[in-house]
Amino acid sequence: MAADPILLPGDYLDPKVLPSHPSKALKLGPGLLHIPPNSIVSTVAGRLCTDNKKNAVWVEYNSGRYIPVVDDLVIATIHHSATDFYYASISDYSSNAILPNLSFEGASRKSRPQLAPGALVYARITLANKHMDLELECVSASTGKSDGLGPLTGGMVFSVSLAMARRLMLPKPGEQGQLVLLEELGAAGASFEIAVGRNGRVWVDSKSVKSTLAIGNMIQRTDQEGWMVEKQRIMAKRMAKEIS
Amino acid sequence: MPRELGPSLNERQFFLQALKEEVRIDSRGFGDFRAIQLDFGDEYGVSDVRIGKTRVLTNITAEVTTPFPDRPFDGPFTITTSLSAMASPSFSGPPSETEVLLARLLEKTLRRSGALDTESLCLIAGRAVFSIRADVHVLSHDGNLTDAACLGVVAALRHFRRGDSEVKGEDVKVFTMAEREGVALSLLHYPLCVTFSFYEGEVVLVDATLSEEQMREGSCTIGMNKHGEVCQIAKLGGAPVDAVILLSCSNLALRHVERMSKVMEERLLEDAKRRYKGGIKAEPSSENARVP
Repeated sequence: MAADPILLPGDYLDPKVLPSHPSKALKLGPGLLHIPPNSIVSTVAGRLCTDNKKNAVWVEYNSGRYIPVVDDLVIATIHHSATDFYYASISDYSSNAILPNLSFEGASRKSRPQLAPGALVYARITLANKHMDLELECVSASTGKSDGLGPLTGGMVFSVSLAMARRLMLPKPGEQGQLVLLEELGAAGASFEIAVGRNGRVWVDSKSVKSTLAIGNMIQRTDQEGWMVEKQRIMAKRMAKEIS
Repeated sequence: MPRELGPSLNERQFFLQALKEEVRIDSRGFGDFRAIQLDFGDEYGVSDVRIGKTRVLTNITAEVTTPFPDRPFDGPFTITTSLSAMASPSFSGPPSETEVLLARLLEKTLRRSGALDTESLCLIAGRAVFSIRADVHVLSHDGNLTDAACLGVVAALRHFRRGDSEVKGEDVKVFTMAEREGVALSLLHYPLCVTFSFYEGEVVLVDATLSEEQMREGSCTIGMNKHGEVCQIAKLGGAPVDAVILLSCSNLALRHVERMSKVMEERLLEDAKRRYKGGIKAEPSSENARVP
């Protein structure tokens, strides 16, 4: 990770850092622009990340505004309901997303979850086009299972930066994102539920108000104060002792 | 037009449950302020107040104008507030209710309590007076704008120096800072605001953050100076509040006003020390420094 180069807007990518895959075409992710015939320029300031298996390259950077992408998991707030849809909002000052009434696990015309305005749902984005309303779902279309998606009851929502939300959702946050906080908390005996939305929102629930707040504040401080792995370990242990 | 999302149902329930257990979301006490940071600019009359993530910049300017015909001895003192979209996207467009209320509250606290001695701004009766203008810019909005803005304006007024002036017959000459040392404004007292937020009829919070403000049932702003003289109480709508609670609020307000006044005094003193170049001894002289 330390070897990842830092890019500034307008920097040309060195062809040597690009992943080479025998068969797959190179995939450019966020923050990179292809200038034909064969140069790649970064459009933002950030850290260059590469994935050799997927033959992908992208720039990891922290931005203010969440731009929806298909298959992202987000925490949405129900705004109002219509006959067949809920209208849900995933970020301030953006148009509402559509969440069909029937896209919940086991939902039918007769039985479907009743959500009041202001309720939270953990949902997956199924359609994200520039000039169209977003579409969400809380059930996997192929299996019919919820896979953990659906209405979130109780708990508290904390806002974090978009980069932190991505780090929390990495498959191996410890190795890939220098984030061991949650694992350490779990190992130290703190029990809690957590749902991370790519739109920079983290939902936390635990047995008491105090522990929920402590966990949420710790995630926010890790983000804002840039705690390193060692500091995260120490703080997690200290807090787990306090709340258990 | 999509607007700012209020707190969700989960957040409301959690917040109220936390209040029952006497915990605030940012783990402060109910009667505690966030950390206050007060800075002054390089020029006189610029103050920068930070309360938590709320940030307010105030700039004081003076110019010579003709007074209003019905008040020939008074220099006009105006306070303008600007809530730009930089502070929060909800502020774009025409002046919102928040902006109007903020300006009104500042006027009520500072102008109507006679904090600034406007008669001292008179140069020639009916002909020339200094007009003082305070521009309040909200740079970042995380609740409790009133208290921050009020502290900012008072600190900036105390920090401000207007150009020295000389009246010869009908002519008024205002000297620049390079020609003559500036003159401080004559302030009669230093009123500050403390805002209280009410929840569930019983719970009173001081210095609410933005999300706490969005969830409150009512609020009340008390303006007073450090001697405990109440200048104004603004309770604009919202849930009814018991009179006894209001009394205890004003006692708490005094404690906070005393503390804020102390911070302001200390910071003004530090700034004055920073600007002090050694007085008359440091003035340029014709003597040769090498010869004793």
